[in-house]
Amino acid sequence: MTTLSEPRAFRRIAVFGGVYSNAHALAATLADVRRREVDAVFCLGDLGGCGPHPDRVFPLLRDAGVRAIQGNYDLAVAEGHTDCGCGYTDPRDNHFAHLSYAYTLARTATENRRWMAALPGHRRLRLGGLPALLCHGSPRAISEFLWESTTPDGLVARFLDDARAQLILCTHSGIKWHRRLADGRHLVNVGVIGRPENDGTTGVWYTLLTAESGGDLDVEFVPVAYDHEMLAKEMDAEGLPPEFAETVRTGWWTTCLEVLPGRERSQGRF
Amino acid sequence: MAFRHLAALWVQITGTLCNLQCVHCINASGPREPWLPPLDAETARRHITEAAALGVKEIYFTGGEPFMHPAIMPLLAFALERAPTTVLTNGTLITDATADALVALAAAARYSLEIRVSLDDPDRERNDAIRGRGAFERALRAIVRLNARGLLPILTATETEAAPGGDRYARLRALLLEAGVRKPRVKLLPLFPVGRAQGRGGGTVTREMLAAVDPARLQCSETRAAAAGGIYVCPILSGLPEARMDGATLADTLVPNRVDHPACLVCWQTGSSCRNA
Ligand SMILES: [Fe+2]
Repeated sequence: MTTLSEPRAFRRIAVFGGVYSNAHALAATLADVRRREVDAVFCLGDLGGCGPHPDRVFPLLRDAGVRAIQGNYDLAVAEGHTDCGCGYTDPRDNHFAHLSYAYTLARTATENRRWMAALPGHRRLRLGGLPALLCHGSPRAISEFLWESTTPDGLVARFLDDARAQLILCTHSGIKWHRRLADGRHLVNVGVIGRPENDGTTGVWYTLLTAESGGDLDVEFVPVAYDHEMLAKEMDAEGLPPEFAETVRTGWWTTCLEVLPGRERSQGRF
Repeated sequence: MAFRHLAALWVQITGTLCNLQCVHCINASGPREPWLPPLDAETARRHITEAAALGVKEIYFTGGEPFMHPAIMPLLAFALERAPTTVLTNGTLITDATADALVALAAAARYSLEIRVSLDDPDRERNDAIRGRGAFERALRAIVRLNARGLLPILTATETEAAPGGDRYARLRALLLEAGVRKPRVKLLPLFPVGRAQGRGGGTVTREMLAAVDPARLQCSETRAAAAGGIYVCPILSGLPEARMDGATLADTLVPNRVDHPACLVCWQTGSSCRNA
């Protein structure tokens, strides 16, 4: 996997992950970002997923100049793997994961698969004076979940040491969180814009990060409302599993719950 | 096998002391004269502290039956201050009072506390033939008790035959739903040919097989187990002299290890991990 480094320092960036073929949420996110005076926009990967019409997100990303890295889903689709690499053990989860992956793989244009294949695995940049590492799952593994309740400070410190960074940004799990260590370094899971975060509300979240040179980091999670009913109708029309559309309509995760730690699982409906 | 990073530290806190005596137990635990003694609390704390400093992601308490250890509750509190912590239990000692104490511990902790309750077969008779009379009822009761308090246990089942049954996951899930558990959690483990199941597998991992495998598929590339006598390669082989790693500290043991036990073949074939997910 390659790492791409940004030559100049930024003051404010917008970062999101997990588009999951949700072009409606992506358009709404980019519209919100345009009002925020950011220096650059980053996507931490997983462009395809449970949503309809996977090709629709690529022109939006390219036109807005979004700088992306590769998620596990992008890697799988780009290379034509037999599954998305999520590694579920529940046969019910595997059933749903297979359906959406096969749908996405079959409907992603070759040029978009090539575009994903060329994405870097990591990016490095400076935000204010802070060296930052951008990754998909964790710095060490594209499919590692970093949940708030199962990521100890000692591991965060280890990641930051190994990356020689003051800030790590990741996604993949689907729920946003921010950890500031006692020594002032940060890890931020920026969440995903492709589906709600299992709290019973239908909106999604992206992250604004601001750091003046020499100043501390400001992290703001920004809520985004979008036409989720339209998305759900398109999913129904495409014959995608009704369980996926239910999540879009209700804000509660209905499948692939086995990867959630106990604490995060107890906060959802299922 | 090359070592990658320390994701999980297993603490075999009660050695092989257990109030059950299951026919397939990987370390032949039981109530009488355990061949591996319990670990003292001081040694356990030392290993946990070192693991946290090394950036461990998860701590697991196992045995034997961890709730037979006199210091289990303070040890869980100690571990939870440093990392997400899981206990593997047969559930028989989880009374209402213990369940209350675990819920209080989980609520006060920064990180997730997970309780894994062993129950091998959704059929009561078949389960108790393996785990002992009454084990099914008591395990299920513990699951319901914890669940009723909002601490969602993970039912952990070991395959009882060499050829795993295809619908076991779905049947265990159905059992939980029927018992009123609205957020069923199930973890399946293969049967390992070690302990009382020794001899129930054949062959070992060859050099060619090892060369063909991604180290991430084998849990010994990211795990170590602390037990009486030192640090061992993984929780499956914990306590066995041939699986003991050299070194005075945990850090010393984060080096390549042998994978020539018949149990290693099961990991190679299944890619299974003893971790929660
Ligand atoms: Fe992902």
